[in-house]
Amino acid sequence: MIQLEINNIYKNFGGLQVLKDVSLKVEGPELIGLIGPNGAGKTTLTNILDGVIKPTSGTVYLNGKRIDPLPPYKVAQAGFGRTFQVTRAFRRMTVLENLYVPALAMNPTARRRDFRKRAMEVLEFLTIEHLRNEYAQALSGGQQKLLELGRLLMLDPNIMMLDEPFAGVHPKLMEIIFQYIYRVNGDGKAIIIISHDMDTIFTLSKRLLVLDNGDLIADGDPEVVKKDPVVIEAYLGQDEDEL
Amino acid sequence: MKKRIPHIAGALTVLFLFAFPFIYSRADYDYIMHLWITALFYAILASSWSLLGGYAGQFSFGHMAFMAIGAYSTGLFSNYIYIASAPTNICSEFKLGDMYLVFLDPIGVTSGKLTCLDIAKQNWPADVVVSQPSIFWGILLGILLGGLFGFLIGALVLRLRAAYLALFTIGFSEILRAAISAEISISRGQAGLKLKPLFGDGLTIFGTTYSAIDKLPPYLVMLFLFLFCMAIMVWLERSRFGLFIRSLREDEEAAAALAVNTVRYKILVFVITSMMAAAAGAVQAHYIGIITPNILILLQMSIVIAMAVIGGLESIVGAAVGAIIITFTLEFLRSSFTIGSVTIDMTIWRLVVFGLLLMLTLRFWRNGLIHPILLWFSRAGTKQETVATRVAAGDTDLAEVETEELV
Repeated sequence: MIQLEINNIYKNFGGLQVLKDVSLKVEGPELIGLIGPNGAGKTTLTNILDGVIKPTSGTVYLNGKRIDPLPPYKVAQAGFGRTFQVTRAFRRMTVLENLYVPALAMNPTARRRDFRKRAMEVLEFLTIEHLRNEYAQALSGGQQKLLELGRLLMLDPNIMMLDEPFAGVHPKLMEIIFQYIYRVNGDGKAIIIISHDMDTIFTLSKRLLVLDNGDLIADGDPEVVKKDPVVIEAYLGQDEDEL
Repeated sequence: MKKRIPHIAGALTVLFLFAFPFIYSRADYDYIMHLWITALFYAILASSWSLLGGYAGQFSFGHMAFMAIGAYSTGLFSNYIYIASAPTNICSEFKLGDMYLVFLDPIGVTSGKLTCLDIAKQNWPADVVVSQPSIFWGILLGILLGGLFGFLIGALVLRLRAAYLALFTIGFSEILRAAISAEISISRGQAGLKLKPLFGDGLTIFGTTYSAIDKLPPYLVMLFLFLFCMAIMVWLERSRFGLFIRSLREDEEAAAALAVNTVRYKILVFVITSMMAAAAGAVQAHYIGIITPNILILLQMSIVIAMAVIGGLESIVGAAVGAIIITFTLEFLRSSFTIGSVTIDMTIWRLVVFGLLLMLTLRFWRNGLIHPILLWFSRAGTKQETVATRVAAGDTDLAEVETEELV
């Protein structure tokens, strides 16, 4: 069973404390929402899980293996995948080449043709198979989001962290991302979604985490969390209905 | 059929390169052969730089430094290392089986100076044998040292990008040039370090013996080296290595998040391209016969980068073709001419033309001048057909169209 264990994570940038004693567990194929105001530490937490930055203190375990000291590529190989807040497709590589990168990186002896069928299935599911030979820079912002999600499918991690997957995406493409999330989660993978889109996050997630100023101030059922006075206070200026 | 044209053209080009020295017979044979050797030398440098700068995105200005490491390694090796059957007792030396590996003391710039080996020879009996290791060991040493320095520089620039990487590698190149210039007693500085020809005793090919100064043997060595490097680079470019170095050019952090060991591939691409530059430098040094620190000046590096840019920054073949065309063009542009009473001195103006071509390429043809032609024949033409034309024509069944060369 998938198990992500984050223990007492602190992160300081100079005198600025970005994360304070953050601890949580993900057990099994959970569908989790992570919200918080700008500067709450959401992306920093993602970067720590990914291995891009190291925590000042604390530990992270994935399926019993400590991953916080590992470089990002080893964290990915251990089963953690992520997308980025601002889409980071390999712009001067074709859509198919974008998909081959994680597939080949995870399978040292494989060749491109071994993943041709899988890549086409992924592209068909994301409805961008007709763009497979286009350079990624020719894709729209929304299509590039889909491409990033497609790369994650090729990476095939146990747990995915999707940073703002719906930002700037056309409603039609949002529907595809919805389907993606449900299908991947249904296939037994844990997903953590970071989003400022409250409607979407409450629709999708079965568990909600709230970060505020580096503190994990809430962790639980979305319906309970959104009534939590501490959470409402954190979203000062947003009323309960909006939450 | 269109996709096969590059392969057919490639095969014909290789055939032409091998046949040319045997079919060309005009009076300027030696001059043209010299140009070809130089063009192939620059083609190795430009194409390997294309792999480093164009594919991997490591915009290094240190490529000529690796070339110089190869040249000076084999130069110093062939000037300083001897094998003797008896100890000199005055040179630095160590026993190697029944023989002694002798290291000469600095030769300096004074031609009449006796080396420790010369002095030892005066006291030795006549039966003492003194020889030099084959220069091919020197070339091999140059290649290995080029790779070692490539590894070190690759490791040192892991966290550097763009301008910082460029400045770092310029610094490395300048330090090397200053060190070679300063150590006059060892490197002979601007006086130049002399090297032996590739085939000092001549070479017999198909029953014809060629002397040490004939152009054919060094041409064939450079041609084999060029084809060997090209074969390796094209193979790498089409393999997972090519895919991964392009991904780290595009976004190193995203590549690492997708399980690519970016550190390994970044260092590997430095090592491989440095070894190629060192190999080209070592062979060229033996062909020219003398090397000075001027091979490291920034203009030389700029010419190599300009060749790669004009040929096609992201095309190994384009960069090589660009280097060959530019080498010949720059040479033929040397001819001055007169307009009315004004004489245009093209020995100076040819570089202006070259600079102008570079600026126009960067402004209007970012993929170079050769690369788009190669693309038209291979990938891009098909891509345009599959995605744009066919969809516009209402053909939704695109699955049947296979456009990639899957390796």
